[in-house]
Order: sequence, then structure tokens, then C-alpha cells
Amino acid sequence: MEYIKNRNTLRRAMVLVAAIVSVACTEAAQEAVAEESAAVSSRQAPRYDDGTIVFDYQAGEQGYWGRPSTSSLVEAGVEVEFNEDGLLADINDALNVAPFMPWSLALYKYRQANGLKDDPVKACISPAGPRHIHDKGGFRIIQDRNYERIYIVFGGGNMNWRVIYMDGREPPNPEEVTGTYYGHSTGHWEGDTLVVNSSGFIDRFWFSNGGLPHTRALELEERFTRSDYDTLEYEVTIDDPHTYTRPWKSEWTLEWIDGEIQEHFCEDHRQE
Amino acid sequence: MRQVFLSGLFLAALMVPLLGGAQEGFPLDGTWRGTWQDQSGTEHMVVMVMAWDGRSITGIINPGRNAVPIDRAELALENWFITIEATDKDGKPITAQGILKNIGAYNREVMGTWTIAGESFPFRMVRE
Repeated sequence: MEYIKNRNTLRRAMVLVAAIVSVACTEAAQEAVAEESAAVSSRQAPRYDDGTIVFDYQAGEQGYWGRPSTSSLVEAGVEVEFNEDGLLADINDALNVAPFMPWSLALYKYRQANGLKDDPVKACISPAGPRHIHDKGGFRIIQDRNYERIYIVFGGGNMNWRVIYMDGREPPNPEEVTGTYYGHSTGHWEGDTLVVNSSGFIDRFWFSNGGLPHTRALELEERFTRSDYDTLEYEVTIDDPHTYTRPWKSEWTLEWIDGEIQEHFCEDHRQE
Repeated sequence: MRQVFLSGLFLAALMVPLLGGAQEGFPLDGTWRGTWQDQSGTEHMVVMVMAWDGRSITGIINPGRNAVPIDRAELALENWFITIEATDKDGKPITAQGILKNIGAYNREVMGTWTIAGESFPFRMVRE
């Protein structure tokens, strides 16, 4: 009987020790994970010798920007549910996506209601505008400091690129230029944020995967901030007085992905 | 006379790409080409160039020497029904009305009636 009592005492003691060890191990593991993640997120954004932020990879590295934190363009602060193609979970949320004019809301709802079947991207028309920053293919921001230009090279769509002039030139009058998919972009720095102003767009593309309309009056202000090594904050202000009742803003973040942008060629799937 | 005609053609050629070319923005933006058919079966060609300026739809009918401005154009969003009013060179009132179809397509179309001086005829135009 004494033996059994001692054995029970011993068993309880062992359970207690095991519990203490388990808790200690769990806490240690949690601390390790916390330290590791802190180490990752505390990696600072790389800089050139003059302190300018580097958006692309440096010698010996590889990587690009991708995995956007949102799946479609929507006014900042508005909560609506989209699928990964930009289709609203509830068509009644359309009104909240942006400050539409009546015609643009009607057209947006029309596109949503027919399942985005008319999306020009399906005919290999470039996504263009902020939509490219949402594209699954990702992108690189390559700073050509000799020629004072920045190139954004896209992995999605048709693997296009756009040019941002950083040489202080005045943007052309949008009324006097032939519109293009990427418009004419000029950039400057505000602290560590790259600010890009673009105008001179054509309206042959959808600037969001959900089918937000625009006209040739569209003007964009984009702000790129590499807040740490692995995070790119993107903010875009959309100003199209022919389509929206006021300028409005959308924002999301992107992750630094270790690797190379994959080769991608667009194919026309409209007949499938 | 020939010189005036050629000048008209030249101006029309200039106007069409200037105002046209839109595809995915305002649904009526761009250049439209079609016909209306009178009671004898004769088809009359119509070219319309329309543009949205954020407040109203403006444009011209049959750019060239017979061009007339669009006096008023409306798009009813609940059913995509369009109404276009103008006055021809002889002072006759014109009203083109119809439903906008295949809105998402590159070559969307309008089918309806062309009313001139109180008489209505079948009308169809497709965006180029």
C-alpha cells in the first residue's frame, strides 16, 4: 500500500515536472519564433550610398514584389469581399467600391453581373494602371540612376514595362498627347517614398480586375514606400472627373519574394 | 465644289481618330457606323462620333461637309436606352433611339429607330 502511495506520488511528481518542462519549452519556442520574426521584420530596406532607398535586388540577391494584401481595387477603408479575380461576393456592395458617377456604377455592375467575361485581359490586352500592381506575376522596380529613370517590369500580363522619368521634366499636357496604356509618368522623392504622377492614358483597358471603368481623363498619383526589407507599401489616388465624383484612394502592401519572376506569355482564352 | 468636298473628307479623316478610339470607358464614346433604311428599302449611311465630357454627351453626325452637331444625347442607365437628337442640314429634326447591346464588346451596337421629320425607320449602328 505504501508502495502504491509512493508510486502515485512519484507519478504525480513526474507529471508535474513534465508539465513544467513542457511549458518552459513552449515558452522558449514561442520566444524563438518571436525573435526570428522580429529579426525578419526588422531587416531594414536597403539603400544606396547616398541614402536613397533601393527597390530592387542588389548584387548577389534575387527577388521581386508580389503577393498583394488585397485581391482587387477598392477605396481605402471600405470593407467588401472579392474573390481573387475581383468579383464581388455581393453585387450590392458595388456602390461602396468607389465614388462612382451613375454611368460608371451601372457599367461596373454590368461587368460584375456578367462574371467579368468582357475583361480585355482575356484578349491579352495589358492590365495597365494600378491593376498591374495587383497582378499575380509580380513586378520589379529597377532604378536606372544614370539616366534618371525608373522601370517597373511586370511579370504578369504580357511581361510589359513602364518608365518613370525622374529627371524633373514637366509632364506633357494630357490633352496634347496620344494616350497609352501606361500613360506618361514622372516621379520624385518625398523622404523615402517614391511619388509617381501619371496621365495620358487610353481607356482600352480595365484598371482593376473587377472592371472599374475610367476615361482618358484618368490621372494617378502612386506612392511606393519600402517600409522594411520585405514590405512595399503601395498607395494610389485615382482622379478621373469623367468617371468618379471625387478623387479617391486605394492602398495595399506587397511582399518581397525570394526568386526570379517566372516567364509568362499571355494566351487568348476567349474561345475556350 | 470638288475642293470643298475633298476638304470635307480631309476634315472627317482628322476628326474620326481624334474623337474616336475609345473602347472601355463611357459606353457611347467613339465612332459609330450604321444605316437607316427608308420605306423604299434604300439604306442611308450614318457615322456618329460621340464623346463624354463628364457632364454630357457631345458629338457630330456624318463628319464631313454634311456634318451636323448632336443637339442632345441621353443614355438611360436602367435599360441602356439611348436617345440622340439633331437637326439635319435642311432643318429637319432627327431623333435616333435604340437599345445599346453587347456593352462589353469591342463592336457593341445600337438597334432602334431613326426618325426624321416625323417618320420613323429601322436603324442600326455598330461602334468601330
